[in-house]
Amino acid sequence: MNNKSFRNLAKPYVYWLYLLALLPVFVMVFLAFVKSEGIAFDEMGFSLESFALLTEPSTIVAFRNSFFYAFVSTVFSLVIGYFVAYRIFKSKFNNKFLVLTMLILPMWSNLLLRTEALGNIMEHNNILTDLLSRTGITLSIGIKGTPLAVLIGLVFTYLPFAILPIYTALEKISYSLEEAALDLGLTETKKFWKVIFPLSLKGVVSAAILVFLPSLSGFAIPQILGKGNIVLIGNVIEESFRNMNYNFGSLLSIIILVFILGSILIISKTDKEGETLL
Amino acid sequence: MEKKVIIELSHVTKKFDDDIIVNDLSLQIFENEFITLLGPSGCGKTTTLRMIGGFEKANSGDIIINGKIFNELPPYARPINTVFQSYALFPHLNVVDNVAFGLNNRPMSYLLHFFGEEKIINEIKLETKSETVSKKQIKQKVNEKIYLASKEALQMVSLKGFETRKITQLSGGQQQRVALARAIVNKPQILLLDEPLAALDLKLRQNMQYELKEMQRKLGITFIFVTHDQEEAMTMSDRIVVMKNGLIEQMGTPKHIYNEPVNRYVANFIGESNIIRGTYVKKDLVNFMGVDFECTGYKFANKEVVDVVIRPEDFDVVSLEVAKLKGIVTSSIFKGVHNELTVLVDGVELMVNTYETYQVGEPIGLKVDPYEIHLMKVTANEQ
Repeated sequence: MNNKSFRNLAKPYVYWLYLLALLPVFVMVFLAFVKSEGIAFDEMGFSLESFALLTEPSTIVAFRNSFFYAFVSTVFSLVIGYFVAYRIFKSKFNNKFLVLTMLILPMWSNLLLRTEALGNIMEHNNILTDLLSRTGITLSIGIKGTPLAVLIGLVFTYLPFAILPIYTALEKISYSLEEAALDLGLTETKKFWKVIFPLSLKGVVSAAILVFLPSLSGFAIPQILGKGNIVLIGNVIEESFRNMNYNFGSLLSIIILVFILGSILIISKTDKEGETLL
Repeated sequence: MEKKVIIELSHVTKKFDDDIIVNDLSLQIFENEFITLLGPSGCGKTTTLRMIGGFEKANSGDIIINGKIFNELPPYARPINTVFQSYALFPHLNVVDNVAFGLNNRPMSYLLHFFGEEKIINEIKLETKSETVSKKQIKQKVNEKIYLASKEALQMVSLKGFETRKITQLSGGQQQRVALARAIVNKPQILLLDEPLAALDLKLRQNMQYELKEMQRKLGITFIFVTHDQEEAMTMSDRIVVMKNGLIEQMGTPKHIYNEPVNRYVANFIGESNIIRGTYVKKDLVNFMGVDFECTGYKFANKEVVDVVIRPEDFDVVSLEVAKLKGIVTSSIFKGVHNELTVLVDGVELMVNTYETYQVGEPIGLKVDPYEIHLMKVTANEQ
């Protein structure tokens, strides 16, 4: 088979991509600049009303919340993720990928289900407290609906996305470099900071973006674990579409899209392998 | 002049699981010596080097440097630097930062001692023309010194002007030189080289061999070199240690090992040679291939079976009348300076080097001078 036939094989996907990914983006751009009821063409007209909504205090708060929660959960995920990745990297397990798979395992269950379950044990009187009370331990924490709950949810969900790229970057560091560092008079601590850490930075950048982006744009976790008390930009988008305000929803989606594209640009500059993880 | 022992391995044994890699090895290495550990892969030479460098711990035995036992000391506490086989250059640093890496990461107290505290303070005083010297000035001066030393080291390996290059922009030979500069800039007492030339092409390798030897003479550092290439070992070493299965087979100057190998293994490993089973008839007379040859300087029991080593260049091609051995040329390969002949004598193929040209199928006569005949004891496992 020659190259051309192979190219033909890709065509169904290419058309799919044009029709269901690229076209909707243009539709969203179009919707952002008009005023309409849903996608109804009657009474549609050019309008910058959606842009005016951007300066509404509630939108600004949502954006601020989004960035704050995304930032904090990224920092926590990176710190914890680095420790875990480094521990696996240094361990003498024969099958390190098995360990990694076990860490990723929760990702294979449905996000909503997982988040609901997490929310459940964050409330008073759940199955865990019930079990514990039978053994005589009374422990009950009700944090659902607090910022802490949302943060725990975000870190819990996106931590695997931090571990994987950091681990991949660490695994690429040749052991001879560590030996060279020791040979040149570095102590173990210095070796880490001067050789291992700088060489794993690529993975850290990828990890940061992989955690930051979904935390920034997601809406299920703050909705469920925040009980609606904490509104992120994802929730505003969801609400806009639900209230038939496609114009405002589209505008916000496009703003998020710009952030994502910018991040991909950063990754492609720093970490070639990280791209594939996105 | 009595040579000073700088490093001594005393009954060192190293096992990986149950495999004995280095077996009760004892070795003394002198100051300013270029010593080569030579052997095929798996003979324990690299493991020996790594134990000296502190990357592996010996299961038993002592490693003594300058009279002190160094068994438990980590690599950074040893007056030793290593040039790794893979070079192990830091990809996130440029050339000069790679070279300066070791010194850059030493504590200030070490650096002041390294460069001479007095000297640094005096230099600053001279420059600033003031009597007080601040800590910041010292730090600055030491930093200057580190980069000056690094540049000098780069100059020494002929890489001047490459300072700001990235490691990935260098060729294999250049990377090898950076690795060398990175080690020697620390002025170690001992430099370990783990097959550093293995990845280079022939021409470059030969050049580097001379340069390494020259550098060792200039710097006055003890070089411990590991290789499986006997030619490399011959060219550079003051002494060669031939190893096999974690044991030292023979140790001595290149000349000594080449001319008087102790057994078949060493003879085979060092250069091309013809090894023929023979019988020590009586003093100064040995019989092989059915002919009696005179020899000198060997003591064996009469009638003892021995291995006879004759180097290809030690055969003299003579006219058939005076020849001790007569044979037919079965192949002739032009090697530049000489021709490498294979001569079939009584069903035994002998390798003969000669400057003359002979045709395949031509009968020729061979002769060996008594002092060119080297006899070896037949070791038990070879009989």
